[in-house]
Amino acid sequence: MMLPGRALAFVLAFATVAAFADEGTLDDRLAACAACHGKHGEGVEGAEYYPHLAGKPSGYLFEQLRGFRDGRRNNAEMIWLVQFANDAWLQEIAEHYAAETPRTRAADTGAQALTEERRAIAERLVEHGDPARGVPACIECHGKALTGLEPGIPALLGLPADYVVAQFGHWRDGVRKGAPPDCMHDVANAIAVEDIRAVATWLSQQSNAESARPAPAGSFVPPKACGSLPHEEKAP
Amino acid sequence: MIVRRVSIVLLALLPVLLAAVAVAAVLFARQGGFAPYRVPRDSTRTVATDGATLARGEYLVRLGDCAACHTTRGGVAFAGGVPFRTSYGTIFSTNITSDPTHGIGDWSADEFAHAMRHGVSRLGPLFPVFPYEQFATLTDTDIDAIYAWLRTVAPSDSAPPANRLDFPASSRDAMIGWRMLYYRPSIATTAAASTDRGQYLVDGAGHCASCHSARGDRYSLPPEGYLAGGSLPVNGWYAPPLDSESLARFSVAELADYLRAGTSPHGTAYGPMAQVIYGSLSALEASDATAIADYLKRVSPRAPKKSASDGIATASNDSVNGAEVYKRTCADCHGDDGEGKAGRYPPLANSIAATAPDPINAVRLVLYGAMAPTTPGNPRPYSMPPFVQQLTSAEIAAVVNYIRRDATPPSRLTPDEIESMHGIVLE
Repeated sequence: MMLPGRALAFVLAFATVAAFADEGTLDDRLAACAACHGKHGEGVEGAEYYPHLAGKPSGYLFEQLRGFRDGRRNNAEMIWLVQFANDAWLQEIAEHYAAETPRTRAADTGAQALTEERRAIAERLVEHGDPARGVPACIECHGKALTGLEPGIPALLGLPADYVVAQFGHWRDGVRKGAPPDCMHDVANAIAVEDIRAVATWLSQQSNAESARPAPAGSFVPPKACGSLPHEEKAP
Repeated sequence: MIVRRVSIVLLALLPVLLAAVAVAAVLFARQGGFAPYRVPRDSTRTVATDGATLARGEYLVRLGDCAACHTTRGGVAFAGGVPFRTSYGTIFSTNITSDPTHGIGDWSADEFAHAMRHGVSRLGPLFPVFPYEQFATLTDTDIDAIYAWLRTVAPSDSAPPANRLDFPASSRDAMIGWRMLYYRPSIATTAAASTDRGQYLVDGAGHCASCHSARGDRYSLPPEGYLAGGSLPVNGWYAPPLDSESLARFSVAELADYLRAGTSPHGTAYGPMAQVIYGSLSALEASDATAIADYLKRVSPRAPKKSASDGIATASNDSVNGAEVYKRTCADCHGDDGEGKAGRYPPLANSIAATAPDPINAVRLVLYGAMAPTTPGNPRPYSMPPFVQQLTSAEIAAVVNYIRRDATPPSRLTPDEIESMHGIVLE
């Protein structure tokens, strides 16, 4: 039998919990994210290395958040903030930023200019890949317009070259891991380092001015098995 | 001649040697004598494995937060390998899955109970990062339930890295010396389990003293430091005292709720305590949370250790106006007078960060921000932004000094000290 005093304690405890359940918006709750990623995930002027979040596919964002929490991605600031967050909360955060208008980021005209030769290499990898080494074209997975594919493949537009280069380095070293099969690990290891720089620079020079959203789920099927995402089964 | 001279010297030293042996014998007896080193490997005693026992074991493993130390980030549950950095080297936690070779699947119930109670296993004396001093107070029934449940954990053949320790700690036998100096076996407080559930949970499975007690020399836990608060050896966070005085601002119900939800009208859990709540206390049964809160609010405060800088109240010489920085960057959320915003932003007035003798919590939170743990009681937590990029070290020193103006000793952080506190320690 429950003692009256204890019962009262329960009621008070419950009342306290209820009092906390106020309806602050996600923007209110996610002040920590805004410091580096912008109030609406649009990025912060002058802190371009931190990627924008706005409009990225929710499945992609969710997987990245879980990756920081579970050791597949390694960034101390991010791990610090999400290490004690459960899936439900990370999913809500991911959906929140996915629903924001994709960030409009003009072509990076300040980026290091590409020689014609480097530009040709970058464009070949983006449009045709390197079949001899098993590297699919960027556009095969990230979409013809490079705007990504719901729910798990991000756009390649609006990203600073240094950020893209760093991610390739992390994939190669296994510091950044995808859910198996880790396709980007394979891709990153099959591309020469100098070609990675060329692709990253080329991508940073593409404009995302139209705020294009990722292609709807199922609108095309990527050729390579990647994480838990649907892909085209090719006959051996 | 020489022989005679040596004999004379030996004769003269004999009393000293005898005294040393006598002292060693007494110290050895006080750490438990030979009994702790007789590990019952061959015991055939079996334990109950019915559903109720397993459920009890799982609950206790959760309350003990075994996973926090025995599971790496994203690693196989209970497979060990978490590094503990100490001043004498790095110790890696062990694999406690049911694997017979790499885990404890081959341990008898009595060997497990022996390790929990005496801190000695087939490996030899365990390092005191394993809180056997606290686990010794668990009842036989509870230790058996923990054993029963751990045996249901899927085996992992993962072998943690070898410890990297300086001499003499590199030898497990050195732990015998440590035990002689610092370890005094507690008498299992089986009585506490029935008479004071709160104390039983705090002192036993919860092993709150591991972080919240003031440690003595070489990580020892002297009785006078019991729950008296202190800086954590590994990651530098400050854990506050847990007693009637330091918890005066909480009612029992509020404290019980904080333990499960991770947030309260008087403060929110960050850093290591956020882990404890996320991984462990959020699963507390309400009655146990109330029992813990009720007990902690009955603990008598220990006399605070005199700090070297006590009484040397130097005037603040901040080149930046901390009050102005506060108004500009903090007041929106934490209020003009640090009163916070109920249910959203914790108050700073009387908070641990503002009053603790160690400024590290306040500095860490300002530098890197924080997000409260998600719990059933606080599923969509608020967060604090990092200011490491927005504010200069001089501004951070000034604003932390302003927030901590009433701390003992009053905060006199310099920009250089802020720089030295940079860096996120995740483990």
